[in-house]
Amino acid sequence: MAETSLIGRVLGRYRIDAKLGAGGMGVVYRAHDQVLQRDVALKFLGEALAPDTRQFSLREARAASALSHPNICTVYEVGESGGEFFIVMELIEGKPLSDLIGAVGLPYQSVMRYGAQIAGALAHAHGRNVVHGDLKSSNIIVTPEGLAKVLDFGLAQRLPAERPAEATRTMETLESSGTVGGTLPYMSPELLLGEPGDHRADLWALGVVLYEAAAGHIPFRGRTAVEAGDAILHAAPPPLPAQIPPGLVAVIQRCLAKDPAVRYQRASELQAALEAVQSATAAPAPPGDQPGFRTTVHRGIKHLQVRDGDTLLLVGTMKGIFLLRSSGRQRWDVAGPYFHGQPAYALAYDSRAGRHRLWVSNCGIWGAFLRSSDDYGRSWTNPTEAPIRFPADSGAALKNIWQICPGRPSEPDVIYCGVEPAALYESRDDGETWSLVRGLFDHPHRPRWMPGGGGLTLHTIVLDPEDPQRMYVAISAGGVYATEDGGRTWQARNRGIRVVHAPEKYPEFGQCVHKLVMHPARPDRLFLQNHWGLYRSDNRGESWQDIANGVPSDFGFAMALHPQNPDWVYIVPMESDEFRCTPEGRLRVYRTRNAGESWEALTRGLPHKGAYETVLRDALTTDTLDPAGIYFGTRSGQIYGSTDAGRIWKKILEGLPAVVSVKCAVVGEKRASRAPRASKSVRRKT
Amino acid sequence: MPITFLVPGPLRPYSGGQARIVVEPSPATVADAFAALWKLCPGIRDRVITEQGHIREHVNVFVGNENIRYTGGLQTPITDGVEIAIIPAISGG
Repeated sequence: MAETSLIGRVLGRYRIDAKLGAGGMGVVYRAHDQVLQRDVALKFLGEALAPDTRQFSLREARAASALSHPNICTVYEVGESGGEFFIVMELIEGKPLSDLIGAVGLPYQSVMRYGAQIAGALAHAHGRNVVHGDLKSSNIIVTPEGLAKVLDFGLAQRLPAERPAEATRTMETLESSGTVGGTLPYMSPELLLGEPGDHRADLWALGVVLYEAAAGHIPFRGRTAVEAGDAILHAAPPPLPAQIPPGLVAVIQRCLAKDPAVRYQRASELQAALEAVQSATAAPAPPGDQPGFRTTVHRGIKHLQVRDGDTLLLVGTMKGIFLLRSSGRQRWDVAGPYFHGQPAYALAYDSRAGRHRLWVSNCGIWGAFLRSSDDYGRSWTNPTEAPIRFPADSGAALKNIWQICPGRPSEPDVIYCGVEPAALYESRDDGETWSLVRGLFDHPHRPRWMPGGGGLTLHTIVLDPEDPQRMYVAISAGGVYATEDGGRTWQARNRGIRVVHAPEKYPEFGQCVHKLVMHPARPDRLFLQNHWGLYRSDNRGESWQDIANGVPSDFGFAMALHPQNPDWVYIVPMESDEFRCTPEGRLRVYRTRNAGESWEALTRGLPHKGAYETVLRDALTTDTLDPAGIYFGTRSGQIYGSTDAGRIWKKILEGLPAVVSVKCAVVGEKRASRAPRASKSVRRKT
Repeated sequence: MPITFLVPGPLRPYSGGQARIVVEPSPATVADAFAALWKLCPGIRDRVITEQGHIREHVNVFVGNENIRYTGGLQTPITDGVEIAIIPAISGG
């Protein structure tokens, strides 16, 4: 489209006033929004872009429009007029950082200040699964007020499969046109090698920008693109000028680590490090904290080498965390202990939106902290402040985190935690900030909930996969509560569940529920292991029926569902309330294949003499493979597994501290739409 | 005179690795001294006190040789030059 034909024209509500510039991704105009009476920037995705690239850019722009941060140029909307797509953005007055840098660079104070702002912008975007993909000094605008604003979030062409071709094309065309997205001097080694890359490529690019701002030139140069690429892959960045404080030099060097695992793992960490060097150079006395303290790196223990398709077991014990990995479910590599000495009740694996994130809560004398790792345990976040905290007016203080529950795949930034004292917490920004779900905490029943043996805890969270407004929680001893309106109001759902610890046998609430499970293919049906009693509900917990048909004891803690067959439930009965061990010294898993009509003992490979074992509520789990893998851990520190849905068991590991929690994940699997429908015939492999 | 905090090993990741953190000017109570410590080492705060402002159950704080649980808690007055030790209690299983 010829630019002269656009100026003065009105597209929808926008009147185009002037051309501002042209870049690799299109032409930008100043326009006036005649409805909201404000000036905006309109970016046309040039006709030169292939239609599929344009579609991709639009998709990315829509993702970027979800971002709202003072250091990000806001995307208002994506418009279309006569087949021309345009992006409507905040109009920013200012100069590109590249124009401000000059030959000798900026004062280091400005480098730190802009750097911390840009890292904050990246942290916000990465938390919403938007990577920039083409961060460079020319798409950062500095306003007259000194605010750095990052442009073109997510606009770079970042189809992973196209990466190698793009890198090659960029190297060939850089010097001639310089118009291709993903700019070579800012490209990380992994992207240059054609690997898919992730958010840490943005941290590399910010390292290049910081270096450039501090030194006045980019770190990796060459007479040709091939030479420049070679420097990125192999050369150390040349020393920075002597006046740059060592703290800032260290931060930049860490951003420019060739191996992404050695860089900062999160933009928020980099932001904290830049803020720390800022205050260290501003204050006369250095503060006690050092940059980088927000990461805990476990050195001196063996770590796992994890590949796609591997099965992972996350094992929480009373004295730390162990990670197990297997590629065929026969031999297992063991790593750990992580956080040795600290009880770990809650563990989770989050694979949504391409993540491979481990979550863990560890608690001890220093409080309960939630941490995550994106590199299978090598490094963990280490929050300065406890992110989950009770509000002052509640009078309550967090004792422990009992459950970490990633939200539905459709809401990849949502995570829930069940805590002690009994309460539900929700994060909508990928675990950065948490809020108490007041609808449940302020429930009139709460003052009459009673602590169970483990304290007054909310230990189980069950999300309805089909209805984002519906979820269930289990509280010891409060019972099952459900919400149908996304957490605003909650109803007790305990009709038919018997209690033994009060004169009234079927109260509205107060049940000591030990575990609650739902199969994603049958969200109307729930199974429940009570303090005494096994139950099923076919009407979303409205009423419950006893299904303890032929088990040696209906006391127990753990309960798990077969990954494919919603009628198959696994339990490990305990003898009694007083003697919380396997009956008769025989370690037996019980399974029903008909939703509780009858149960069968699974004993092959399990000790049947002198085995007084306890399997706790979160220590029984399944994988998602076929045939199904079933795993459990005991208070005596043993891990057992079956790779044929429970027919034959093998001891995987022994000698661990008391096992509290076992969670399983299959790395790199596509979870979406894998859950079979109940109506379909299911393979019966035992 | 400034006062000195003695930081136990598990909390030193939050004190820049230092075992002793000096706080000045001289505070009047343990609460004042803590407020100054949190400014220097913000990561220590939530590990020593709960969100309701109480010393954690299994953490003891000594002014000199006196456990502040018996001397007025966080309102325990302190004198110039004193040492305040944060020490994990003997507990566990």
